[in-house]
Amino acid sequence: MRDVYVAGIGITTFTRLEYPLVEIASYASMMALKDAGITEVDQVYVANMGAARLNHQTALASAVTDSLSLLPAGAAAIENGPASGAAAIKAGFQAVASGMDDVVLVAGVERMREVNNLEATDFVATLTHPLAEYIYGVTLPALAAMFARLYMDKYGVTERHLAMVGVKNQNAALNNEWAHLQQAITLEGILDSPEAMTNNPYVADPLRFFDACPVSDGGAAIILVSKEKAQELGRPMIRLSGIGQATDTHAVFEREEPTDLLAVRKAAHDAYQMSGLSPEEIDVAELHDAFTILEIAQSEEVGFFPKGEGHIALEKGETALGGKIPINVGGGLKGRGHPVGATGVAQAWEIVTQLRGDGGKRQVEGARTGLTLNFGGFGNNVVCLTFVRED
Amino acid sequence: MAREIYAYKSRVDGTLHYPMKMISRGNRDHDFFEFDPVPLPKTGKLLTFTTVYNLPAQYEVATLGLGIVELENGMRMLGQIEIDDPQIGMAVKGTVKVVRRETYDDYYGMVFTAA
Amino acid sequence: MSVDLEKILRPIDHDLAPYEPKYMMLASGEAVVVRQVFRDEIPDLLKHVEPLIHVERDFYDVVAARVYAELLGYYKHRFQDQYVLALQVDGELAAIVNGREVKPGLGLSLHTLALRRGLRIGAHGFAAKMEYHIDTLGHDEVLIVAESPIGFRRWMIEYKLEKRFDIPHELGGVPSWALTRELFDRARSKLVVGRRPVPPALLEKAMEKILPPSDPPTPPLDPLAATRALYDPTATALVQQRWEMEKGAGNA
Repeated sequence: MRDVYVAGIGITTFTRLEYPLVEIASYASMMALKDAGITEVDQVYVANMGAARLNHQTALASAVTDSLSLLPAGAAAIENGPASGAAAIKAGFQAVASGMDDVVLVAGVERMREVNNLEATDFVATLTHPLAEYIYGVTLPALAAMFARLYMDKYGVTERHLAMVGVKNQNAALNNEWAHLQQAITLEGILDSPEAMTNNPYVADPLRFFDACPVSDGGAAIILVSKEKAQELGRPMIRLSGIGQATDTHAVFEREEPTDLLAVRKAAHDAYQMSGLSPEEIDVAELHDAFTILEIAQSEEVGFFPKGEGHIALEKGETALGGKIPINVGGGLKGRGHPVGATGVAQAWEIVTQLRGDGGKRQVEGARTGLTLNFGGFGNNVVCLTFVRED
Repeated sequence: MAREIYAYKSRVDGTLHYPMKMISRGNRDHDFFEFDPVPLPKTGKLLTFTTVYNLPAQYEVATLGLGIVELENGMRMLGQIEIDDPQIGMAVKGTVKVVRRETYDDYYGMVFTAA
Repeated sequence: MSVDLEKILRPIDHDLAPYEPKYMMLASGEAVVVRQVFRDEIPDLLKHVEPLIHVERDFYDVVAARVYAELLGYYKHRFQDQYVLALQVDGELAAIVNGREVKPGLGLSLHTLALRRGLRIGAHGFAAKMEYHIDTLGHDEVLIVAESPIGFRRWMIEYKLEKRFDIPHELGGVPSWALTRELFDRARSKLVVGRRPVPPALLEKAMEKILPPSDPPTPPLDPLAATRALYDPTATALVQQRWEMEKGAGNA
């Protein structure tokens, strides 16, 4: 298997974008191509979850490849729920590592705000089990809320811990010009003031408004290349060193221990093993905080903290910029936004930015290794990636 | 006739599946053709729950109670709950009712109340 | 015989009790003051409403155009029994809500226009407006209509409004919904917040001047491009302007 490097990255602002889906994907891709300094690619993968349903567009990869005038490159769209982005990166890795291709463009894109938020909620809920979950009116916030309640009951996590993750990540987004939310929040305003309950109402108790990521549009792209190509291009040598992917039961209630995220554990384990890294050796991480509880639980399952102690590390500031393992310094899904198909690629974009030392005010000093965790379904399809700076 | 929600039981090793699988969880040599439908029990205890305030477009109600219940045979299922002050571990009983309406279609599922 | 036409054209405003100012803390930790704005300050509001007429998303254009007309109508005495409340953060305009009294006992909600987003300022403004109708003006019912899906979700579902579909609403003639006193009392504890009296320094800052909103929704480079694009399947006008805006963000 050949080594695979990230030679270029690009992103659009994550917000409400009034542009056609293909243009959003193409814009991020164009920026990644410019960043890498290339005009030829062998293969294009476009990660997306809802084009057919939300934007009335199918065969997205062909459209993006045409828009970028990359013909006759191979092209395919990858739909893997909210883990589409990292799944597409995995496909790109396989293409380069196998020797089949030398240059692969991986773009992730979603335009969710073309529909109203009621339809967007229903769209995301279609990833649940159609007969055992969806028909009951279950939504992703509902699944996260039931998970959070168990976590609180078992490990002593409180609403304050959840709010602390929200404040940390939303305020971190102020250091990321591409992030959706550019509005500071305080614990007092969302939890302690007499108005907090109205400012921050329950969306699915015990989860509140500021515990959930916003519904966003946006695109991100990365260019994966072989070692020879990376050396020729002369960009910082950042190797995609580890990939792990695992699945879990479709219906959440079927899991033996409902507070365990076994697919996260397995995906992280496999990524560490492939890269020869341990959790202690990771300098910066992007976890899938679609809901605040998930950052706490995932920080344990990827091995940064013992099970049930993620919230204690959070209290100590260990997950903040300057802490032991800074998590979601660019705002995470909570602050940057969560255009579902784009998220996995945007996480890689953030880690590569960090490893290049281009993080500006959010730069993790001296970061040489990074991890991303892209969490699909409600933990039933998870992809973990590790990156290492080599030069 | 009382409506039921069905689990699927393997004739070979007795493994129960809910929701249905094409191939048995316990033994991949056994498949759907060797399963018999058996009604799920209707009593159990509440494992976790939530009240949802932001519902999909089809629901014209302000809130919806949802919970995961461990049934008396040890299987689990998700259902709607109609309980004023739900508590983890409380005893519940289920009835099969309409849980979702879409234009001309009714979908039936389990709705739990306090036992 | 000369007739003073203005006397005929100008509606006679009834003496509506004033709204007692209040304040509350936002998610950001900032204090927002809700207070009534009278005729003399309307021009200060209009200049901040006008740019939003060109924001062609989330129904800002429709709502802002109507609010502009309502405020101007109030200012020039062409709108009967209207009241206007402003929400200000450190003097800066954060939202405008308005409505009117139809007759004693019956109120009508006009608009809720948030100039700062992501802090539920619109929800606070709407609740203050309902509080004014029911508690101060003593209305038994307030007729309401939503122009955007988000408004529908907020008001119709959260307050569980009753249908009054036999009454066409003054906004567009569509069927009305009603907030009754009973519904309001039920929602009061969850939706209506605020503290009184407003500390003098805070109130003084708000009364002193309506300052421009710090981060209002911005109009596109080409006003009406999106509106024209509704009937132009190639959306040419949009293509020309859209990425010009994106370039400004400084992509590497």
